[in-house]
Amino acid sequence: MKKELNFELNILPILDILSVMICFLLLTAVWVQVNSLDTKQALGDNTISQKENPPSLWIGVERNGTLKLSLRDVKANVPTESTLSGNREGVNWTALSQKIQGLKKQFPNLNTVIIRPEAKANYGVVIRLMDQLKQNQMTDVGLSPLG
Amino acid sequence: MKLTNFAQTTTTRSPLTEAQFLGGMAKSSDKTHKKSLEVLLPLTSLIDAFSIIVIYLLIGTQGGGLEADIPTQISLPTAEAGVTIESETPTIRIVKGSYFINDKKVAAADLVRNLANLKKDMSKDSVEILIQADQAMDYADLDPLLRAGSAAGIQKLKFAVVPSK
Repeated sequence: MKKELNFELNILPILDILSVMICFLLLTAVWVQVNSLDTKQALGDNTISQKENPPSLWIGVERNGTLKLSLRDVKANVPTESTLSGNREGVNWTALSQKIQGLKKQFPNLNTVIIRPEAKANYGVVIRLMDQLKQNQMTDVGLSPLG
Repeated sequence: MKLTNFAQTTTTRSPLTEAQFLGGMAKSSDKTHKKSLEVLLPLTSLIDAFSIIVIYLLIGTQGGGLEADIPTQISLPTAEAGVTIESETPTIRIVKGSYFINDKKVAAADLVRNLANLKKDMSKDSVEILIQADQAMDYADLDPLLRAGSAAGIQKLKFAVVPSK
């Protein structure tokens, strides 16, 4: 008796497996990816170990969206204090972006920013502020505790 | 079905060709030439499509970053400059003034002790923690955590955000 060389490929189980895999992958898929904004917090007093403080920008965040900017340790005769009033939406993000870009152009080594929000300031606004600073090449962003 | 061998390949039907269709392919090629009432379902193209979907789902939704379990009551803020969370990081969640370290509720007064223990357990020089908080929260709710982190010697804080792009 001759042995049959052809064989029948049963495609239906393959279809079943693929269907189950699609259902499984759809159910377990992570559609919302979570990223992180990193900060480096100060530990204790760094003034002893550091010979010279790097230039830094301190930003006070008020509840109504007003930002108080203060430049520290910059060696230039420029006004160090400025205020960005909030608008209807809260913080005036366009004005802030222009201000940071101007400061970055004026002081290329300005990389450190300390954010000092008040107690009732919105966390979402603080995070958005950090995001905008990071987008403008402010690499060291830190948050200051209250008080 | 007729038995086949390699010498007779031109005269025989391939079972693979027949298996491509779910329905009356075999019947339609019968000598009676009766029109089949069954619908022909092209299985090969269906398998192709399914395979592509499986590959897309495997590559597009599973890789890159860690899976983060965000409770429904927290609406994370959005950010463009966020970076992917590459390694397993202890998570601290703030929900309506309550603090949860790796899903375990901790009183604000015990934050320093718990964070110090966490740092000791991890036995790393540089410990990072991931903070998940609602975007509508007041900064005052974050303040005890900042102070406790500083007191426990944790320098790197990561704030969980949803990428806006």
